[in-house]
Amino acid sequence: MAGLTLSALHKSYGKVDVIKGVDLTIENGEFVVFVGPSGCGKSTLLRMIAGLEDITSGELYIGDQLCNDVEPRDRSIAMVFQSYALYPHMTVYDNVGFVLKLAKTPKDIRDQKIREAARILKMEHLLDRKPGQLSGGQRQRVAIGRAIVRQPEVFLFDEPLSNLDAALRVDTRMEIAKLHATLGSTMIYVTHDQVEAMTLADKIVVLDAGVVQQVGSPIELYQRPANLFVAGFIGSPKMNFVEVTVEAIESDALVVSSKDVARLRVPARVTGVNVNALLTLGIRPHDLQPHDAGAILGRVSLVERLGNETIVNLELASGAPWLAVLDGDQPLEIGQNLSLAADPTKAILFDKDGLSLLGSA
Amino acid sequence: MPKTTSSVPDARPEQKRLPASRRSRKTWLTAVLFIAPAFLAYAAFVLVPLCMSLYYSFLRWDGIGQARFHGLTNYITVLTDPDLLQIIGNAFQLVLYFTVIPVGLGLAVASAIRGQMNGRFGMATRTILFLPQVIPLVAAGIAWSWMFASTGLINQALKSVGLSSWVKGWLGDFVWALPAVGVICAWVLLGLCTMLLVTGITKIDASLYEAARLDGARPWHEFRYITLPGLRQEIGVCITVTVIAALASFDIVYISTQGGPGITTTVPGLEIYRLAFAHRQVGLASALAIVLMVLVLLSIAPVQWFTRDKK
Repeated sequence: MAGLTLSALHKSYGKVDVIKGVDLTIENGEFVVFVGPSGCGKSTLLRMIAGLEDITSGELYIGDQLCNDVEPRDRSIAMVFQSYALYPHMTVYDNVGFVLKLAKTPKDIRDQKIREAARILKMEHLLDRKPGQLSGGQRQRVAIGRAIVRQPEVFLFDEPLSNLDAALRVDTRMEIAKLHATLGSTMIYVTHDQVEAMTLADKIVVLDAGVVQQVGSPIELYQRPANLFVAGFIGSPKMNFVEVTVEAIESDALVVSSKDVARLRVPARVTGVNVNALLTLGIRPHDLQPHDAGAILGRVSLVERLGNETIVNLELASGAPWLAVLDGDQPLEIGQNLSLAADPTKAILFDKDGLSLLGSA
Repeated sequence: MPKTTSSVPDARPEQKRLPASRRSRKTWLTAVLFIAPAFLAYAAFVLVPLCMSLYYSFLRWDGIGQARFHGLTNYITVLTDPDLLQIIGNAFQLVLYFTVIPVGLGLAVASAIRGQMNGRFGMATRTILFLPQVIPLVAAGIAWSWMFASTGLINQALKSVGLSSWVKGWLGDFVWALPAVGVICAWVLLGLCTMLLVTGITKIDASLYEAARLDGARPWHEFRYITLPGLRQEIGVCITVTVIAALASFDIVYISTQGGPGITTTVPGLEIYRLAFAHRQVGLASALAIVLMVLVLLSIAPVQWFTRDKK
């Protein structure tokens, strides 16, 4: 097993910069998830680590070895592709054992390793089948099995659950988490699904436009997002935002208000903030509760009842659309006014550059 | 308790339904009407001539006068006459040039340009290689006849590199005439095979090659374990088309050598034409045609079996 160090990693296609200087350290045995919207460069970064894309500049270390110019086969990595990339004319047995065959591993050892991988993934009964005879989930397991037999230092997963249906995604996600616990290997996982990121990761790397926005544990990213992008991307439903004006500055908090929000005292870093400055207030839908004298007033535009909770779509006075996730089944009707209170300690203010004004934890 | 059934009558107008026997008769008639035009054309241009050829092959007939039943004599002649056997052998030798070279080179080209398929290099390669397909075979035959002539481009090129001893009239040489004809045919068919294989290779999931690279595959392994199996059906089509083209060849041979020198480049197609229209041995020509058809089918059947889609 090995950790990774990415130092000022750049990737350009002609004049287009795709990865704009990524610095990252991944510890041995860590489960790291690259997350971000489509086109943010997360898959490109993964492929650079795999050696499937050239590194324009910067340095990539796997363990202690500088791997910029090392062939993919010599990097001691294994990758699970979104499309599974199973050899269609080979049986599951041959697919899993292909890497060992190329490495000229003796037949008996090869057989032993293939069967061990099959046992771990509970797919012994599939060994004689061809990929075309397997379901999506079974194919994904075979793809993971192919990675396991390599006994790599680092596992790479490129959106491995994207082609699975919702129920299977949850099952396979749990299997991957168990696999990490069993093998204890370093794993890097790419997804655009922040639920996958939150549930699997030891550490999440949020990317946007080829730039790392924030690196941290799932809870850290949820509770203490570094900027508006991370705040909006992490959490489901996404965080509500509204523009507010600073009314008063206290030692460790700012009092803000706007057309949509009555006076609200939000704990924040106050240095560099002036009265009347325009800031962005972010409140997560789960942190809103109905309250007769709440700071936020809106008109209900849609109600989605899930039984255990009610998702309310609101239109604020300024026309800004907000979401509130309320406990239980709320007796709300479309068109009615709803007053909501927010826990100020969970509200976050962002400056005009979109950077969080959270004080030190 | 909620009402689970509706008493509202079906609002759809009741359609007149034909009895089952009349319905199936109507369906059958519709099917026949749809099939009839294609079947009539096929029968008129394939089945009837085939049956007539089969019938003629048992006759001794000059094409004009009285035909006499000749039994299996024509077939015995085809299968025992040394000249006819050599002619059939020539056709099988041409398979090497019609099939092995175009399919082999096509695979090499397709593999080589796989990564640059949409780039200028890939486009230029495909266009240049496909060009012979759009040139009429007669024009190609004439052009290559000039190039293979004693003072042609090939000999001039050999002289310019100091290989004057190799200079010869290629298409008039007893040893080299058939290979020379084969080169022309390989040139013509290379474009077709390359296009089919290039099209096929684009269907292979690029991530398979990436997975193979991670698995430690070298270019040869990628070709052996991904490209070849992935192109099995396209290779089958190429082999089928080119083997048929080799065994039933006529035009290129007729234009470039007319079957000479002697019968070294004569192929069954050319001999059938000669027997039927020059020597007026329609029965023997028909027997040779039937034997040729059987040989084509026997050659194609294993190709089709090996390259079928194995689920």
